[in-house]
Amino acid sequence: MVSLSDREVSADIIESCRRGDREAFRALYQAYKDRVYSISLYFFHGDAATASDVTQQVFLKLITSIAQFRGDSGFSTWLYRLVVNTCLDGARQAKSQAESVAHSRHAFPVESKSHEEDFARAQIATSVQAAVSALPPKFRLPILLRYFDELSYEEMAHALNCSMGTVASRLNRGHKILAQKLASLRGFLTPGG
Amino acid sequence: MFQKHISRHLAAYEDRQLSAPKARRADTHLAGCERCRSELDQFRFAAAMMEHLPVTEAPESIWISVEAAIDRQPERASRFQVRYWRFAAAVVLALMMFGAAAYWYATRSQPHWEVTRLDGLPAVGSKHIQATGRIQPGEWLETDAFSRARIKIGQIGQVEVEPNTRLRLVAARPAEHRLALARGEISASISAPPRLFFVETSSSTAVDLGCAYTMQVDDTGFGLLRVTAGWVSLEWRGRESLVPAGANCHTRPGTGPGTPYFEDAPVRLVKALESFDFESAGSGALDTILAESRVRDTLTLWHLLSRVDAGERPRVYDRIAALAPLPSGVSREKALQLDRGTLKRWKDELAWTW
Repeated sequence: MVSLSDREVSADIIESCRRGDREAFRALYQAYKDRVYSISLYFFHGDAATASDVTQQVFLKLITSIAQFRGDSGFSTWLYRLVVNTCLDGARQAKSQAESVAHSRHAFPVESKSHEEDFARAQIATSVQAAVSALPPKFRLPILLRYFDELSYEEMAHALNCSMGTVASRLNRGHKILAQKLASLRGFLTPGG
Repeated sequence: MFQKHISRHLAAYEDRQLSAPKARRADTHLAGCERCRSELDQFRFAAAMMEHLPVTEAPESIWISVEAAIDRQPERASRFQVRYWRFAAAVVLALMMFGAAAYWYATRSQPHWEVTRLDGLPAVGSKHIQATGRIQPGEWLETDAFSRARIKIGQIGQVEVEPNTRLRLVAARPAEHRLALARGEISASISAPPRLFFVETSSSTAVDLGCAYTMQVDDTGFGLLRVTAGWVSLEWRGRESLVPAGANCHTRPGTGPGTPYFEDAPVRLVKALESFDFESAGSGALDTILAESRVRDTLTLWHLLSRVDAGERPRVYDRIAALAPLPSGVSREKALQLDRGTLKRWKDELAWTW
């Protein structure tokens, strides 16, 4: 199997995907699946079923439209634009089906309870997940893009279809809200996380 | 710059997105401003907390669906190179079959789309589709009460044609994929840059902006667009309705596209909107629309800004402003003048609530 160590995929991989090469698609999928899934998961308030559905839709769209990827922007940027649009479509559909966000919020799993330290770390993670989930979508998406793929402001602006100034402003506001919501955890923050 | 507080620039500062001179001025300001240092500390605290957000592994089951889709993809290029002796043999064979090849090429070069029968016996022209067939520009595809078909739209998507539908292929070019829907229902699923796929009806043209949708047209020409993914622009003689996923839009001969609304909009709003759009109900209907609107119904109100009389426009503006905070760069004066840039900026901001 092709292995991608770099987050930016090569032109060869893209070309192979255009030819319908299963291994190339598999390599792309492996490289991005967890980040796409995680962004969807935190965007949809921990709803694993919706996150799976959105992730699947993103990669299906990728398969059907990769021929239109011209390389004007980086592959990551193009992919994350698909992710952003699919998340927003999913949210609009969910609203129209009267599944209010308040009712569809899911409990984030706490992964480890074996040791006190692990438990505390998991509790912090759960609090952060809940705080991110409570952000308005226009702040939530830039925050998720920044932390899951460290996109540049230019790349985020392209993915979010807005200006770099707007990206900076939303990241600013998003961090401020997060800091307020998580203020009670200040005492738990240790150097090095 | 940065004589004032730098709160608005903290993200750009922290992410090294400021130019070197601006970053130096920010450093200088931070050294002397306790308030901004405190806000930067808050930013860094939030950033440190975000490091606790784990990347979650995607379930393996997703790949199974993706893999199935790959198997359905057509081959787009040859997988191997032909060796010289094979090439020579092929040339000889090609010469021997020149007549047949020429005929084949002439047929193949005609633009066409593939049609697949899904149920019953759909027909292209007078020819029934048994399993698969093709449709060329100018030809009609028709389904009866028992038949359904699928059209492959070049390399950009597909259209499912429901029973009792009649449509014509207008253009099958790489830069223009165009159908005319005379009556019936189609479901389109398109993955392409905007404005490559069009569906004409007697009262409007649905322009794909990267989307999935259904379009219904009855025998009188009344149409209904329902968008399930992305955006569709419904256009007619300079009138344009932008319809996002989860929203609907009616269209009528002589009037063109109505005002889009979300499927979950209050029933009274939808009825009033229909009266406003197609029965010239005027301010009575507008009263109901304004009173019934929720935050996401700013989709409807934003469209109404340019559709109501100038005298009614301030009421629409005030209602939107009451439902959603005005973004920077949107002024009452410019909005009421229908300044294009202002309206676009406002729509882009409102769309986060849609």
